[in-house]
Amino acid sequence: MAGAIIENMSTMKLCIVGGILFVFQIVAFLVGGLIAPDPTSVLHSTATKCIDVQKNHHKTKWFMPWGPNQCEKISSFDEALKRQIEANDIVFAVHIPFISKEMSPWFQFMLSIMQLDIAFKSNNFIQDNATVTLDVTMAYRNDLNGKWIELAHSLEQRKLKCKLPTPKTQVTEGQYYECDLIPLMELGSVAHKYYLVNIRLPVNERKKINIGIGEIKDLKLTTIFQNGGFTKVWFAMKTFLTPSILIIMVWYWRRITMMTRSPILLEKIIFALGISMTFINIPVEWFSIGFNWTWMLLFGDIRQGIFYAMLLSFWIVFCGEHMMDQSERNHFSRYWKQVGPIAFGSCCLFIFDMCERGVQLKNPFYSIWATDVGTELAMAFIIVAGICACLYFGFLCFMVFQVFRNISGKRSKLPAMSKTRRLHYEGLIFRFKFFMLITLACAALSVIFFITSQVNEGPWTWDETTVQVNSAFFTGIYGMWNLYVFALMFLYAPSHKNYGDDQSNGDLRVNSAEELQLTTTITHADGPTEVFRLAGKEAQE
Amino acid sequence: MQIAQSWRLPVEGRPSRERRTMTGIGLLLTAAVLSSYTQLPAEASSWWSLALNPIQRPEMYIIGAQPLCSQLTGLSPGQRKLCQLYQDHMVYIGEGAKTGIKECQHQFKQRRWNCSTVDNTSVFGRVMQIGSRETAFTYAVSAAGVVNAISRACREGELSTCGCSRTPRPKDLPRDWLWGGCGDNVEYGYRFAKEFVDAREREKNYPRGSEEQARTLMNLQNNEAGRRAVYKLADVACKCHGVSGSCSLKTCWLQLADFRKVGEHLKEKYDSAAAMRLNRKNKLELVNSRFNTPTEEDLVYIDQSPDYCLRNETTGSLGTTGRLCNKTSEGMDGCELMCCGRGYDFKTVQVERCHCKFHWCCFVKCKKCTEIVDQYVCK
Repeated sequence: MAGAIIENMSTMKLCIVGGILFVFQIVAFLVGGLIAPDPTSVLHSTATKCIDVQKNHHKTKWFMPWGPNQCEKISSFDEALKRQIEANDIVFAVHIPFISKEMSPWFQFMLSIMQLDIAFKSNNFIQDNATVTLDVTMAYRNDLNGKWIELAHSLEQRKLKCKLPTPKTQVTEGQYYECDLIPLMELGSVAHKYYLVNIRLPVNERKKINIGIGEIKDLKLTTIFQNGGFTKVWFAMKTFLTPSILIIMVWYWRRITMMTRSPILLEKIIFALGISMTFINIPVEWFSIGFNWTWMLLFGDIRQGIFYAMLLSFWIVFCGEHMMDQSERNHFSRYWKQVGPIAFGSCCLFIFDMCERGVQLKNPFYSIWATDVGTELAMAFIIVAGICACLYFGFLCFMVFQVFRNISGKRSKLPAMSKTRRLHYEGLIFRFKFFMLITLACAALSVIFFITSQVNEGPWTWDETTVQVNSAFFTGIYGMWNLYVFALMFLYAPSHKNYGDDQSNGDLRVNSAEELQLTTTITHADGPTEVFRLAGKEAQE
Repeated sequence: MQIAQSWRLPVEGRPSRERRTMTGIGLLLTAAVLSSYTQLPAEASSWWSLALNPIQRPEMYIIGAQPLCSQLTGLSPGQRKLCQLYQDHMVYIGEGAKTGIKECQHQFKQRRWNCSTVDNTSVFGRVMQIGSRETAFTYAVSAAGVVNAISRACREGELSTCGCSRTPRPKDLPRDWLWGGCGDNVEYGYRFAKEFVDAREREKNYPRGSEEQARTLMNLQNNEAGRRAVYKLADVACKCHGVSGSCSLKTCWLQLADFRKVGEHLKEKYDSAAAMRLNRKNKLELVNSRFNTPTEEDLVYIDQSPDYCLRNETTGSLGTTGRLCNKTSEGMDGCELMCCGRGYDFKTVQVERCHCKFHWCCFVKCKKCTEIVDQYVCK
């Protein structure tokens, strides 16, 4: 990869390109911060307590909290006690969304979290390791007067992680427990207008089901979905970015094929990075508006995973190809030690994701965290992936260190070199430093924004203008990596200008072959350098 | 440039200035209303009575119709106007008042004054005419109850003027909903409660430096302390739902605390309440200047508490005669303190239900057995 555009560009032109990219970066942030609303919205609902009065007559009866066919309700369980209603006859009903609202495919996904209000009673308290068993059904309809159609039905178990805010000795009757949020369901598409959730907590004393779970006062459902406005802005961004990256990819590949030599590894991997970026960019999500594609969420995860794996591999290869030692690389298999952890870690995360979101395609109420075995398995996958990530970053840091050491080694020898070799090394050093600079900048920006979004809890108000920080984070970071890939393909494409008078832009193999030759012939001339080189090699080994 | 997170803005931003201006406007506006308004009766009725008289659901009335608001007792003219504008809120104000009173009774269960309600109009009786610590707590806890109830109703789409309303609003709403969802409107509860609860105080126009003026300032301060308690104790809950459930995508919302916590918080404020008096600038100042000046989150009082030991028609104290007490306790609930040294009677009670079996909600299976429990009652 000798003679990339970046080396032959004048500083002014480089600044102009940088400036344009910077402007696009700012635009990407502003689009998210000013145009788009917050990425997600929350709906809070307290479940209506319905009584299953005619349980035996209709088996599949839906309980509506309001409307013409609403169920028979009770306002509190004290009433149930008086009327001698049993726990098995109570159905919690939640309609999503509220009256006079409709859900829409623009919402993309929907997930619900359950919260139980449990009161402490000295003779009815939550036992250790209590699990709650939920008989939960979900139905949908697209017409307010239509019939409910079952979407999913499942018997789920969830652990109750509750604690009392005050020590048990001082606790008064009726004090509420502080319970962890319980994830209930996750839908990968919101294709219907109205959803209904019916939850029962069946009691079976013989099987010890739902015994010792305290006195439940209320069941609350918090539903999270993506905002339609954010989806629209996101789609628009993807639709705009896809052709931009595609065009630069075509241009880049044409440049490479125009050359006489076959493409080298670094060129191939930059192209692969472009492909994976385009894979993320292609706005297939548009179809989710018309079709009920529940696998969209999983597909999105996979696409992101592929891109990250590609990006990490690219960094390794880039460092390796700029090592400036004499070993012959230019083959992907030479990097198995570094790329191995990436592949293995990605596989772990993929399996984990398939276990969670993959199964959720069939049963939206499924959660791998609900059972002990599942939790251990999930943790195992995540820990293995974490170890892989640590290994990878260890390798990467070591490689970057090696490159910098070689650079400083080469620096001292530069004046003594022939023009061709000097230009070759200067080019390598410049390319590498420039690359390190923008990569570090992008990574730092990503990390900063990630941390901000974690700490941040709401939009920021800036003199009457509300800035949606979370949206800005998403569009900004997404735009940034697109620009990064764009810049890489543009700046690291082979240049048509020649090095010097005597050297045409041959490929690296020719170069290194020539270099080897050069080293053997020149060594006599510069002895100290030879010593230095040997020392360097030793240190490397 | 001021950067603030919008969730905390209404409370920790600049409410003090806001309140002062609003008080000013309120005074101006209500001066005209009050010119025809006669002196309050000796036992002032209060909006707290909404807690005791069940309010019918607003669906029963046509929006803008009068009956609901004119039927409700205990509303001041300003509150009645708000009632007409926001009829659907009244149910929740009633609910909030009820929660407040219940919490008050829970917190003061073991005190000589136990927050007992007397009748349907003045609710707590004449004791509330004394600007005591107890009065301060009652105002604060009921204001907190309203913030709590309105916020809950608002976020569940029960109110027409906030968040996701139940009733269809102009055409732009469905588009808003599709674009940005409902928006979390917990601060609405705070703002509305401020308007409604403080209306009664703001529309009075007492001469500068008068006893009533001091009382008005005290009530406003305590109402604010109550409202802030709800906000202060609300915490943020978050859910991560990014790639593989990672936190790359995170949604947060404000979660109101269990009202018991609000009660406990206000009880602490009650214990550390500051005694105040009106100064020449017509502001409340500390009686004992060695203490710290109370913040907007603190409770203040202007009068010493009356003697709650004996029944007293003038102060409205009910006395502790007939109250249950704990023989072994040395605290306020102990028979010595509770009965104010008058002694106590012994009472045995037979409990018939025991060894009950509970399910999570309701079904109770009990054995029948007799158990004798000793109870002590103040003379």
